[in-house]
Formats: sequence, structure tokens, C-alpha cells
Amino acid sequence: MSLLTRVLKFRSAGKAGPAGVEPEEAPGVRPRLFWSLWPRSDRDAGDAVTSNFLLHWFPAKVSKSSMAWSYSFWLGTITAALFLLLTLSGLPLLFLYVPSVERAYQSVKDIEYVITFGRWLRAVHRVAAHAMVITVVLHLARVFFTGAYKNGIARNQQRQWNWVIGVVMLLLTLFLSFTGYLLPWDQLAFWAVTVGTNIASAIPGIGPTVRELLIGGRAIEQATLIRFYVLHIFFLPAGVGVLFAYHMWRVRKDGGLARADREEIAETPRDVAASPTKTYTLLGVARGTSPTVTARSLEAPGTSVNAVPDLMRRAMIATLGTIAVISILSVFIASPLEEPANALITPNPAKAPWYFLWLQEIVTDTTIHLGSFTINGAFIGGVVLPGLLIGLLTVWPWIDKSPRQVTGDWFPRERRTQNLVFIAVLVGILLLTYIGMELRGPYWEWFWPWEAWPTVPGRI
Amino acid sequence: MTEKNRRDFLITLGTGAGVCALGAQGVASLRSLVPNVSYDAPTTVKLGPPAEFPDGLKFLADERLFIFRDGNTFHAVSAVCTHLGCTVRAEALPRPETATVGGSPMRLTHQFSCPCHGSHYTGDGTNVSGPAPKPLAWFRLSVATDDGQLVVDLADEVDRDFRLTV
Repeated sequence: MSLLTRVLKFRSAGKAGPAGVEPEEAPGVRPRLFWSLWPRSDRDAGDAVTSNFLLHWFPAKVSKSSMAWSYSFWLGTITAALFLLLTLSGLPLLFLYVPSVERAYQSVKDIEYVITFGRWLRAVHRVAAHAMVITVVLHLARVFFTGAYKNGIARNQQRQWNWVIGVVMLLLTLFLSFTGYLLPWDQLAFWAVTVGTNIASAIPGIGPTVRELLIGGRAIEQATLIRFYVLHIFFLPAGVGVLFAYHMWRVRKDGGLARADREEIAETPRDVAASPTKTYTLLGVARGTSPTVTARSLEAPGTSVNAVPDLMRRAMIATLGTIAVISILSVFIASPLEEPANALITPNPAKAPWYFLWLQEIVTDTTIHLGSFTINGAFIGGVVLPGLLIGLLTVWPWIDKSPRQVTGDWFPRERRTQNLVFIAVLVGILLLTYIGMELRGPYWEWFWPWEAWPTVPGRI
Repeated sequence: MTEKNRRDFLITLGTGAGVCALGAQGVASLRSLVPNVSYDAPTTVKLGPPAEFPDGLKFLADERLFIFRDGNTFHAVSAVCTHLGCTVRAEALPRPETATVGGSPMRLTHQFSCPCHGSHYTGDGTNVSGPAPKPLAWFRLSVATDDGQLVVDLADEVDRDFRLTV
């Protein structure tokens, strides 16, 4: 019987069937649209996951501990919610922004000052973008500190590859931010492109070609803007979208969060009374006078819950909470817009957005003179050091030789050294960011917070 | 030809044709992004009659260039920082210095600093501190044969003994 005829038969169940035959119930086919959100039985809850398209990537059951707010802080979900919000707030901006060097600045100014709710929409997009950089990094830190890229108990776990996908998504997020803040074509945009693409051109050999391809010529012009625009509105978000889907699929294939592995490893199975609601094979029944089974407490009733509605409820709280917080913040946080792009005047000081200031600081400090031989800091600080850092981050799951027992455990003793190294690098980057934000003044010179900046002429 | 061979041949042919078609599409799409024509500003630019330049330094924003004049001697120094390409700013020295530049003495009235990463250059473009890996470029100056204007060739870097006397 084809699916369609089964559906039709099921739908006509209320009426008298042909020749009075009761139609069989088709599993997974429900006449009501939202039946799965309020399951009335475990069977209903399980069906919710398998037969609702939106929920098909949920597990049927999830352990309470891996759902805990204090284990994952739900940073991945919050990041995904921010990405959703960025996509949604980007849609109206697509209608309003004009990717042309003559009109981009004015169109952003119109969004800011003329269009109803334009200022808020732009603020939502910008605040969510900044927040996403933060939550992506925090999510990465959480996964590192809990060793959640490690494989625990189940066979064929490939958590290390999900970590690699995560690192790629971090880079995409940063590149999305970079391509986003240069779209207004103001001074920040122009000089960010100048410096950013000159870093690319510092790569020996292929550098100048890479720069020419990035900016679509030899000067930063219309070809540059349209390239970064298309990357920003299509290729990069599409990349994030595809990788996000794969990221979630891998989480499911690897048996959920690493926390679930942790529970199972930490405990040796013991004999417990058989649960009346579970089905066991005969091999599972242990010897004794009363029927007991060998089981872990994880399998005991009450340690795990149905994904629908429990997991879904928390995901909804995290998502709606994120959207609410960003929406309210965006009422109060104004988006800056510098002077229109001017190839003739470099602002003084010319500072990158905060999340790139550590890079601006290291390209400043890493020019090396060896006698008459000089290596440009653009190459060392802009290409080699970040490349090494990202490379090391990517292969870390293969470097980490800690036992599988600490999978999904916060700051275990066995991973103390590597956690300290990670913290040191993170603190180093934050320190450089602080220096860039607060301690650098005109001509990128060092000024303590209590020192006033000298007045420098705005123009030559 | 056996049945089996014909099937293999057709599978290979189909797969190969598909790969070729997609490959060609991909190559064409990517190649279209490599510009064939550059609409950049010309590198040889007329800057105006030499007599209109003030003694000392004049900054030409459009060309990102400093023109120095000492009597009837001219030379041109780039304002593009050699580190990451920001435009350096000129600051007048409180007391002009005299230094030997390219074998002959030159009066230095300014120094240059970059707003992006803090490179500093002396008045002849020598990098003295900060991340700049090399000195500012010097460009060839000449006098136009038709109307006597000063002409700079931004594609022609010269040594620092270059002076144009008009």
C-alpha cells in the first residue's frame, strides 16, 4: 500500500470505511500539525522525534546531566540562535543596502536615520554579530575545557572531526564579521580592507596575486565591495549553514554531548531491580532470587527524559532568551558609522574592531630585523602566527593524549596542563585586545589610561 | 565487445562527461573573477608647474605622495607605509636637520609616522622604528615636454640619489 493511500485511509477514519473495514493506524502520520509538541505518552514523545520534520535531528531521550545549564551553558544553541537572528535581521537589510561604492555609505546612513526601525534592525544585526563572535569563542573554550572533542564509550565516535568543523565555523564567523563591517564603506571599512588585504599580500610568492583576486584589481574599488558583499550575504552564511547542519548531525552520531559518555564511563554497571517499563533480553537478566538486571544508573528511570518536550523546552528558552536579550540591547546600543571611505586620509589612530585588535597588535610587534635582512610583521604576525595558532587548535584532539575517562569532565586533573596552556593563550589574546583597545593612541603609540592623547591634526 | 564491457564503457563515459562538464563550469566561473582589465588610475601623473610648488614639502593626497622642493631641486617620496599600506602623515621637525642622502647633503624638514601601526620614518623616508620593513619608496620625477609640468611616474622607483633639477 502506498504511503498516500495509507494517509488517505487514515484521514477518512472518522467516516465509515469501505465495506466497514477499520483502517489501520499509520505510525508517524498525524492529522494534527502540532500534535508532537504536547506528547501525551512516551510513545507520542518518541513519535515526535521520528515523524516531525523540524525535530528529526533530536534524540528520543536525553540525559538530564547533559541538558544541565551548568554543563554546556547552552553556548552552541545560543550561537545558533544568534546565527538565526543574524539571518533574519539581514533579510530586510538586503532590501535596503546598495552594494555600490557611490551609494553604499548613503544607503547605510538612510537605514540609520531615515528608514522606520532601520536603526534598530542594523543594531540587532551588529549586536548579534559581536555577540556571536563572543559565544563562538566561549563555546570553543567550553568544549576544550570539558574535553568534549574526545571519544568516550561508543564505537565509531568521531568527535575530533566535529571539533575541526567547529574551528572552520569560527573562522567563517570571523570572516563574516570582517566582510560585514566593511560594507558601510566608511573609513573603518576602507582601511580595514587596505590592511587586511595587505596582510594577504605579505604571503611570499602568491601574496600579491591573492590580494588582486580578493579585491578584484589593484586598487580598492567597486570590484572589492561587490566581492566582499557576495561573500557576506551568500557564500559565508551558506557555508556556516551547511557546516552547522553537519555539526548537529555529528553530535547525534557521536551519541550526544560528551557529558553522556562521562556518566557512563564513571560508573560500573551493577545489579538493580528490573524496571517494569523497560524491555530486556534474557541475557540482561542477572542471577539471583528476584529478577535483577545489570545496569547503570543512567538507565534508571528519571535520569533521562524525553527530548520532546524537555530538551525542546530548554532549546526554546535559550533561543527566545537570546533573541529577547539582543533585541532589547539593540534599542540602547547605537551602531557607529565613521566618515565616508576616503582613500586619501588614514584615520589616526586607525583601529580594527575589538576582535581583531590582538592581530593589529601582533602585526605591529613582529617585524624582525636580522642584520640587513627584514621580515615584515605583516607576514609573521598576520599570517604565520595566526596560521600556527589555528593549525594547532585544529589538530589538538590528536595531540591530547588524556584518558578517555575524562571525556565531558570540567577541568579534570589529567588535562590540567593543556587547560592551563589554553587559558594562557586566551588571556594573552585578551591582553593584546585590551592593549589595542585602551592603551594605543595616535600613531599606535602607547598611552596609559591616565595619560591624555596629544592633539594631532585631523588632516595633513 | 561483451555486455559487461559496454556497460563499463558507458558508465565511464557518463561519469567522465559529467566531471568534465562540471569542471569546465567551475573553471569558467572562477576564471571570470580574475580581472583582465585594470581601470586603476594611471601611474604617470602631471602634478602642475614646478614653480607652483612651495619650498619644502607638499602632500598630494590623490597620488599619496610627498613632493620636496629645495630651490630648483625636486624629489618625490611615497606616502604609502611599507608595512601594511596606510597613508603616513608628515610632521614638521622643530629644527630642520641636514643629512647625507644618496651621497649628497639634504635638508630634512619633516618626519613621517603611520597611524595604523606606528612606523616612523625620517624625512628622507628611512624607516627608523615600528614595524615598517623598508624605507618609503622614491619615485622618478620629470618635466613634461609639452607644457613643462612636473610629472611623476608611480611605477618607476628610483634610488635615493635621485634629484630633479629644473
